[in-house]
Amino acid sequence: MKKLYSNKLVIFSLVLPGVLVFVFGVLSPICLSVYYGFTDSTGMGEAHLIGLRNYMDLFHDRVFGRSLKNSLFLAIGFICIQHPLAILVAAVLDKLQGKAEGFFRCIYFIPNVISVAVIAYLWKFIYNPDFGLLNHVLQAFGYQGQINWLSQENAIWSVLIVLIWHGFGWGMLIYYTGIKNIDPIFYEAASIDGASWWTTFLRVTVPLMKPVIQINVTMAVISALKQMETVYLLTNGGPSNSTQFAANYLYQQAFKAFKYGYGNAIGVVFVIICVLATVGLNRIFREQQDV
Amino acid sequence: MKKKRMAVILSAVMTAAILIGCGEAGSTRKDAAGSGQTSASSEDAVTIKIFSNLPDRKNGQGLVEQMIIDEYMAANQNVTIEVEALDEEAYKTKFKAYAMDGMPDVVSIWGQPSFLDEVLDAGVLAELQEEDYTDYGFIAGSLDGFKKDGKLYGLPRNTDIMLIYYNQKMFEDNGWTVPATYNELLDLCGKIKDAGIIPVAMDGGDGWPMACFLTDILVKVAGTEYADIVSRAVATGDFTAPEIQEATQILVNSASVGMFQMGYDSQDYGTTMNLFTNGQAAMYCMGSWDCSMALNQDIAPEIRDNIRAFTMPVVEGGKAGANDIAAWNGGGYAVSANSPVKEEAIKFLNFMYQPDKLSKYGWENGVGLSAQDQTAYLTGNETELQKQVMDILKDATSISGTPINDCGPSAFKTSIESEIQGVSNGSTSVEDFLAAIGAACN
Repeated sequence: MKKLYSNKLVIFSLVLPGVLVFVFGVLSPICLSVYYGFTDSTGMGEAHLIGLRNYMDLFHDRVFGRSLKNSLFLAIGFICIQHPLAILVAAVLDKLQGKAEGFFRCIYFIPNVISVAVIAYLWKFIYNPDFGLLNHVLQAFGYQGQINWLSQENAIWSVLIVLIWHGFGWGMLIYYTGIKNIDPIFYEAASIDGASWWTTFLRVTVPLMKPVIQINVTMAVISALKQMETVYLLTNGGPSNSTQFAANYLYQQAFKAFKYGYGNAIGVVFVIICVLATVGLNRIFREQQDV
Repeated sequence: MKKKRMAVILSAVMTAAILIGCGEAGSTRKDAAGSGQTSASSEDAVTIKIFSNLPDRKNGQGLVEQMIIDEYMAANQNVTIEVEALDEEAYKTKFKAYAMDGMPDVVSIWGQPSFLDEVLDAGVLAELQEEDYTDYGFIAGSLDGFKKDGKLYGLPRNTDIMLIYYNQKMFEDNGWTVPATYNELLDLCGKIKDAGIIPVAMDGGDGWPMACFLTDILVKVAGTEYADIVSRAVATGDFTAPEIQEATQILVNSASVGMFQMGYDSQDYGTTMNLFTNGQAAMYCMGSWDCSMALNQDIAPEIRDNIRAFTMPVVEGGKAGANDIAAWNGGGYAVSANSPVKEEAIKFLNFMYQPDKLSKYGWENGVGLSAQDQTAYLTGNETELQKQVMDILKDATSISGTPINDCGPSAFKTSIESEIQGVSNGSTSVEDFLAAIGAACN
């Protein structure tokens, strides 16, 4: 078998599919995107090279700036709200044991298996100020007025709640798996030392979960940056771009405004930001580990 | 030796798998091209692919389109027509993808600069011979939006009028009357709101209906100068004309006094229409294409039978009279320039536009007004709403032409349909709104 894997023909044939997928599925589109980013292409007909004009326009584009701010807001929301809750719930589930553990694990994961389109329309109805569930529930508790959940001021928070709810199960499941992999001997030692559940969670579980937290946080930031489907279906970036995100804005510019070249420029900057965010986070985590 | 043989077999399998993958794609293309050629050359098997923006095939315009398709296939047994229908937003996106990669044979189009300019520049639509349509009864000027450099590239389907639909029974029960001026409309909205009912259901989530509403106000402010003012603004990117400022301010004031439902700026077409058709809203602002509501069996009879419409009331101090209306010839059809069955597709298009087809069936199904003369098809059994709309058009002293959001390039359309949400809900000032849409024209 060892000889088989040292055969160049075998290595070549095993590597070739991956290389082809990478070249035609990843590298070529990126190269084409970089090229079109320097053109005035409308997506139809001829394209002309216009140098850095798209990038200069992007630099002054108020909506693109807003979409990046919204991505940052979402990432902070994920890190500060979704993930602490997910770790906590994962730790509680771990302690539940038995049938209840499996039952609640499934319950929390259900939003993840529902189609994004269904989720978006479901929440559209929940948020509707006239006949939505949320206002009806508030009125049942005595609230007299109506809240416009998707107004210019509230919409970004409403979107954040939907995204946190939708992605919660996935984050929780990763933390849950991480907790399950912690050697029980640490908990036994903590128990012998008389540590409470909360102290054990803070002093044993969380520190040992550091690698899992790092992965989850990186994934949360990337997920916030590339947010598209839910926002597209729930608000389409509105009202007046208040819930605009880079990927949705890219789509609008390239396919609705017929500014294909500009859309590609957004794509290039978007990829650079994603790569920088990933590298930056990895560096921060590595430095923390070194300390 | 055995391992070497295994290595060769493994390599061969991997290579074969890759080649099969590539080969299958190639053969699919060949088949597709082959079937296209068969369609074009064989008299016995012609397949016409239609790409439509009318996904509801059981009501309204989608039903009319499907009726004609079925009729054409029954009359031409060798022809198969395949329909792909998507709603407007998805349609426009996929249209562009098709434009890059090969269009279906017959497609829905809009005879407006925001859609057609880039499409015609790309040369994806086939030229039609205008003289072929002299006997088709097209209303004067209705073909203009579908032309470029004097050549015709598409045919209009409708004459669209911007309307304010209202529930007549609700009006009568509450003693409300149809307003004659914009101030009366605002007063009426106040009374309706006090009665706990939504005054006007507005689809502000999509942007374009509100832009059409702005067009309607601007027409009343600017009168017959509307088209000149808008085209000048689009050409220069300067939207500070006093008429545009005044119309925008009227829109802002209307929204701020609660003319529309709460959350109108995030609600879509279906939700908004439902507010009106289930009696939660007294009025509904939309085009004449929604006249089919009066025949829609899904709407409760007490509402369906009482739907009436009026046009935007005159604005005090405005240059337009009651009969200067916001109307245009928007949607229509075209044939792909590279269609392998171009001749058959044009033949089908011509069949569709025979005066006793699209026009007649449209009228019979309450789909509003055609871009062709429909007077021969009046039966006397029209709904009250149809008669009203017919009268509105008959009495019109001027029609506006293309709504403001469709007068500029696509980037302008995208911008105004998004920014109008902000200016109407007060989060953007009128000045910033006009500057933003002006910048999108450059």
